Amino acid sequence: MEPVNLFDLATRQSQWLAVRQTAIAGNVANANTPGYLARDVEPFEKVLERTAVSLSATQQGHLGFGATEAAFGTRVQEYDGAILPSKNTVVMETELMKAGEVRRAFELNTAIVKAFHSMLLTVSKG
Amino acid sequence: MDALTATLKIAASGLGAQSERLRIVSENLANAQSTGNFPGADPYQRKTVTFVSELDRVSGGSVVEVGAIDRDPSAFPLEFQPGNVAADENGYVKLPNVNVLIEMADMTEANRSYEANLQVIRQARDLISMTIDLMRTP
Amino acid sequence: MIGPVGALRLTPALGTETARTSSLQDGAVAGSSFADALAQAASRTVGKLENAEQVSLEALKGNADTREVVDAVMSAQQTLQAAVAIRDKIVTAYLEVSRMSI
Repeated sequence: MEPVNLFDLATRQSQWLAVRQTAIAGNVANANTPGYLARDVEPFEKVLERTAVSLSATQQGHLGFGATEAAFGTRVQEYDGAILPSKNTVVMETELMKAGEVRRAFELNTAIVKAFHSMLLTVSKG
Repeated sequence: MDALTATLKIAASGLGAQSERLRIVSENLANAQSTGNFPGADPYQRKTVTFVSELDRVSGGSVVEVGAIDRDPSAFPLEFQPGNVAADENGYVKLPNVNVLIEMADMTEANRSYEANLQVIRQARDLISMTIDLMRTP
Repeated sequence: MIGPVGALRLTPALGTETARTSSLQDGAVAGSSFADALAQAASRTVGKLENAEQVSLEALKGNADTREVVDAVMSAQQTLQAAVAIRDKIVTAYLEVSRMSI
């Protein structure tokens, strides 16, 4: 894989994490909705593979990740638990655990960006 | 609308839905003993809430709404209370089809779901804060 | 060169400075070993920076141990800070020397 800009990758990951958080919110809000199937984002690796391919096909530079468009979609999660009469597949514990993962990854992401940003500023200072 | 703002909207809809559910449960509990006021009259009929979800394509999340507030069609239990205003010719009174234990369990679950939605709001708010913090000079 | 780290490359700048300083202080015994020490410090900094960037990229893809990332980045920040301080001192010293009346 060609060299990737650190800040670009960080932005991509934070957008992916935000969409994941949205999917989690949808699951938690619909934990009691009959017929609702729990959703999640596709794995980040898949997103990277997909966008890397399309990048080489078009041009160098930014990927044009719109902040408002979900450049990666959510899809129905696999579920192998008990089938409830309501057909609902949300497991609250799993959702809370995923939320914890999102938080940790997001904190690391912003910390990395902050650190490299400040290093850049240090070097640029007179 | 960016993903984190959409998250707030979705979680807020969850709060609203659970609040409504809690309201209905309280109504059921308050009227658990409400019989009719003429002989053979129907008592209070238990209410139920149904949620529906709506997928928001742009953000990938689904808001939740109260679809309908229905009446529980199950039969009214009969109790022998000949002195009651609502007693029929055999002295039996129809009592509300509200099971207090079921309502209490429902209330506990509604509270838990409410808390979970609140957690989501707190987290989304924190994530937004962290992002803005990047700009702040140390 | 990988994006932002490119801007952080200090070796060329330090390289030219050390060459000039060592030629100005020809008689000083410490001249060449000082230049060596500086060059080593510079390459160490770049090494730490590249390592920090590598580990951070892995972390962003979701594959790194948190503590490793934190350690790598902090280490890079420390060496960078020291290197920048040295760079500033050298530049100041050079300007002083160049202003000296002969």
